[in-house]
Amino acid sequence: MEKVKKKIGSFSFWNWVTASIIFRLILIYFPKNLNLSSRPEVSTPLTSFRRLAEGYWLKQSFMSPYAGSMYHGSPLLLSLLGPLTINRIEGQPNHLLYSLVSVIADVVSAMLIRATGQNLRLAYLRSLESLDLVKQIEVSGDIAALIYLCNPFTIVACVGLSTSPIENMAVILCLYGACSRLIPLAAFGWVIATHLSLYSAILIIPVIFLLGCGPDSPPRKLFLQRHQQKEVLNQSKLPPRFSWGPVIHFAFWAFLWSVYVLVLCGISLKQFGGLWEMFKSTYGFILTVEDLSPNIGVLWYFFAEVFEFFRNFFLIVFHVNILFMILPLAIRLRHRPCYLAFVYVAICSMLKSYPSVGDSALYLGLLGWFVNELADMQFSLFLFCGYVGVSLLSPVMHNLWIWRGTGNANFYFATAMVYACLQIVLVVEGVSAMLNHDRKLRNLITGKPQDAKS
Amino acid sequence: MAETKEKSLSDEKPKPRVRPIVRLGIFLISHSFHFSVVCCTAGVLALFLLPVLAKNTYISENALMPGSASPMLSNQHVSDGNRLVKDLTNPNSKSSETGIESHKIIAQYMLDLGAEVSFHKFHPQMNQFHPLHFFSSPDSGKIQENYSCSSYGINTVGIIRAPHGDGKEAIVLVTPYNALKSGFGEALSLGIAYSVFSLLTQVTWLAKDIIWLVADSQYGEYAAVAAWLREYQTPKFSSLSTPNAEMCPDVNNLFELKGHSISGSKFSNSFRRAGTMASALVLKVRDQNEQFEDTISIYAEASNGQMPNLDLINVVNYLAVHRQGLRVNVEKLWSLLNSSWLKSLGEIFESLAKVAKSLYPKWKFGIPATEYVEGTATLASSLYYQALGVPTGPHGAFRDYQVDAITLEISPKFSLDKVWRNDILLRGGRLIEGVIRSVNNLLEKFHQSFFLYLLTSPSKFVSVGVYMIAFALLIAPLPMVAASLYVDANSSSNCSKGDSSTPSAITDTDEHSIAIRSWRWLNSAKLVFIVHLWGAIVSLLPYFISQIPDCSPTTSFMIWVLLSILSLLTLNSVLASPLACAKATQEKEWALVKSVTISSVFIGLGLMSVINFATAEIGALLMVPMCLLAQPLKLDVRAGTLRSFCRMICNLVLGHIAFPPAAFFLLKGMLDGFGNANVGDFWMWVESLWAWNSATYLFIVEVTYIFSHG
Repeated sequence: MEKVKKKIGSFSFWNWVTASIIFRLILIYFPKNLNLSSRPEVSTPLTSFRRLAEGYWLKQSFMSPYAGSMYHGSPLLLSLLGPLTINRIEGQPNHLLYSLVSVIADVVSAMLIRATGQNLRLAYLRSLESLDLVKQIEVSGDIAALIYLCNPFTIVACVGLSTSPIENMAVILCLYGACSRLIPLAAFGWVIATHLSLYSAILIIPVIFLLGCGPDSPPRKLFLQRHQQKEVLNQSKLPPRFSWGPVIHFAFWAFLWSVYVLVLCGISLKQFGGLWEMFKSTYGFILTVEDLSPNIGVLWYFFAEVFEFFRNFFLIVFHVNILFMILPLAIRLRHRPCYLAFVYVAICSMLKSYPSVGDSALYLGLLGWFVNELADMQFSLFLFCGYVGVSLLSPVMHNLWIWRGTGNANFYFATAMVYACLQIVLVVEGVSAMLNHDRKLRNLITGKPQDAKS
Repeated sequence: MAETKEKSLSDEKPKPRVRPIVRLGIFLISHSFHFSVVCCTAGVLALFLLPVLAKNTYISENALMPGSASPMLSNQHVSDGNRLVKDLTNPNSKSSETGIESHKIIAQYMLDLGAEVSFHKFHPQMNQFHPLHFFSSPDSGKIQENYSCSSYGINTVGIIRAPHGDGKEAIVLVTPYNALKSGFGEALSLGIAYSVFSLLTQVTWLAKDIIWLVADSQYGEYAAVAAWLREYQTPKFSSLSTPNAEMCPDVNNLFELKGHSISGSKFSNSFRRAGTMASALVLKVRDQNEQFEDTISIYAEASNGQMPNLDLINVVNYLAVHRQGLRVNVEKLWSLLNSSWLKSLGEIFESLAKVAKSLYPKWKFGIPATEYVEGTATLASSLYYQALGVPTGPHGAFRDYQVDAITLEISPKFSLDKVWRNDILLRGGRLIEGVIRSVNNLLEKFHQSFFLYLLTSPSKFVSVGVYMIAFALLIAPLPMVAASLYVDANSSSNCSKGDSSTPSAITDTDEHSIAIRSWRWLNSAKLVFIVHLWGAIVSLLPYFISQIPDCSPTTSFMIWVLLSILSLLTLNSVLASPLACAKATQEKEWALVKSVTISSVFIGLGLMSVINFATAEIGALLMVPMCLLAQPLKLDVRAGTLRSFCRMICNLVLGHIAFPPAAFFLLKGMLDGFGNANVGDFWMWVESLWAWNSATYLFIVEVTYIFSHG
């Protein structure tokens, strides 16, 4: 995944972008052999292409798209992508148009990541300059975009016809808008991302920080210290204080967009039970973990085993788990809102009820923004090998369980646990590396000998 | 030693508190050399200990109840079977060219019993290697378009509907039969099957349907059974896709004939089905025999080292030994039986066990030396056939659809009189009847007993939990060595930097080198990735080469070699000449490359052990020493000590042995003498492997790229 980083030296950015697009197109032309859209790693009940087509079919025959607990996505996706599920071109692969939409979504996401990365890099350079540190830093935007595009997870999610490229695009759109202070765009991205998958709602915290204080920078305390040393308090070089103006602006736009989206949904579901039906079978479906078919998360196994009596209790426990982590992280990383967003996305993809590899693709891509800060991250080789190993082991275990019949569900669940552990290690190491980086900057300024660990 | 090392470590890094698990990790990593030597020897030793550790088999599914009812097969049924044998061996039934006559006879016999009969026409389908089929569902039911009318086979299928059943489940009995040149053995196997079949039409206890498949083995036993299974499991709904064998006049002729000659409504031209298969038995009788008693051989290995449920083998073994007095055999590597070193090893184990028993009487794990040798030979063949991934009989086709199946080959004492024939018919028939009756008792499909096991004798097995220990010991050094190399490479760069830079003098370049440090393995990862990519390309090449028509094995092998080299050169030039940059690296870089390679091998072996244990075990035996010893030749030459010289020789020898063609030649040379070894043979061998979609094939490529690192 991260290996792309070194290749940039010899190849230009655009070569790699075209190469990845061509690779996707080649894979789209061999969909029969790959059969990716039926893999549990790629298509969850929320993102599955088959369910989307089914929902569209139901709607076309004047039934509620949520009938029969098949479709659980947004009604807007049905209207936008639904027609593509049945349109065929003679002599071409079945779902060519739909695949092309996914490819375009991926490319657009990559471009947005690149632009955001350039923003972040500028901000980083500016803060280093105001701290009087000179440092050679990598072009993190290009790297992040290439990691996102060339990541096998992204490619698999794109070729596997899941809707996660579009969800990812909404999330990235939100972050991009917030970074470049396009408040309506940010609000639009946030509303759509939340509409498509509930978990993106917590991104509102990093977005507020982004709009309030601007993109990532070292802690504010550091600047104050620096200027105390120099004994000239230059207000212009300080990062701005938190300002409520853009946040209120954002809230207004978010309200506007959500009303708009709800009205659209209401219109499209008017005969089929209205908005309440939609909330019940999208958000309700996510929160109550109704579908226990295997996926790469850990919840399906747990809720298949748990007694019915305790089910509600554990549902609350699992979901509060995410909420518990929001506040401490927000306090600790409030000066780095983009990194906070990355950590939130990673935690959500670890604890959400129906995770897929598309979610990992998103946070691994965002990780690329912070190559400069995370240069000292520990266990990088271990994590890399772990990801490679798990992504190969999981289909094998699935094969043993489902097709050969020699394994059982525990085999597959074991890989899911390993995968969750890897993500935990990644988040923990990532956060500690970021904090160490801040500490190192502080030491460089105050001139203390640097200690590696806390 | 350990304490001093730890002390020195704690001197280097004055950390206030180190958690015990971290300390253990550091200890293991710092002693990785001793650790890996100990682990490897322990792994190999544990492999040789497996026959001693084997447990006796037991029937774990209670519902089976083998042998609880007395056999009902009587002389009446035996004489029925005899009649069929006589009719089939009758010279005038063989007069027809296509062997249709004998199929007609069989069908008539089945109809007389009141069974439903149908013919299944099939075209022998060559096994096509398809690169990506491993992870997809067993069979997507692809049909080749260009059939010719000249080559088709006919399977005769008879189905008895169970009086008590609901038609949801079935038991399959397969007898391969080549109508064109059938030996007496094949006719006899049909006779046994028929006598059982005639019994089963009368019994009242039957709860599962019985399917008797007479597989036309003129294009190979496996192909016939596989074609029938494919048709059985993938029903075709549209009329367009019916096989165009129907178009052939010859075939249609046959069925018209049938329609006239065979009366009764139970015959049908269409494909007949029963329920899902609970299990399948393939019955064969060997023609010539040198044994002194009636034996029955069990073949169980299916494709990719999959085995049927152990309970099936247990039932057959129990009934054959305790009820019918047959000797049960499983395949052995005969060459190992006479090896003296194995015998002495067995004696050592035996004496060790005696000592242990004298120390503490409850320790009873020793087995006699002869038994040990036999167990090892069986285990070796079990490993070999599982590793090869090629099924040992038509039963392999069933396993692809999750049906447990075994092949039973009865080899009788050689004599020709009628009494003996009746005896074999009776005992074989009763054995089959007993097995079918047991399986008939099953309430769900086989799941109680093991699927992952190795046999050391028909009544002894090594379960997955035991043999995995040997494998785990063997590959345990890999992550250790990888970690220690990685840590070394990182810390050495740290130390050199730590001398030069004091905290006050941090410069830009220093910052940059820090930035690179923890991600420096990316370069090596890139190199390893490219070599893997090359391996993948090389492994996919034969698929394309085999599309070229009219190629002798030797030329296609040459094309393969040429294309492989060409692809390496292309990759090399396209992807920024990784090998050139590898040459320019220093020792540190090299250590990183080795570390990444070892971790990738570890991942690969771990994966392979889940897919196919035997392949992984054999591969680990080859690759682990190779990975651990690998060292650039230049460095060894420069060092010039005796130790490094030895290591260099080891490397060269191992590298050459493990290179697949070389390994193949050595093996072949040992078996047949070096005279007739030929490059083309290697091609044939590889082709046969990929034809079976074998995981071994993937593995060979893995070995190849390791070699290219050496």
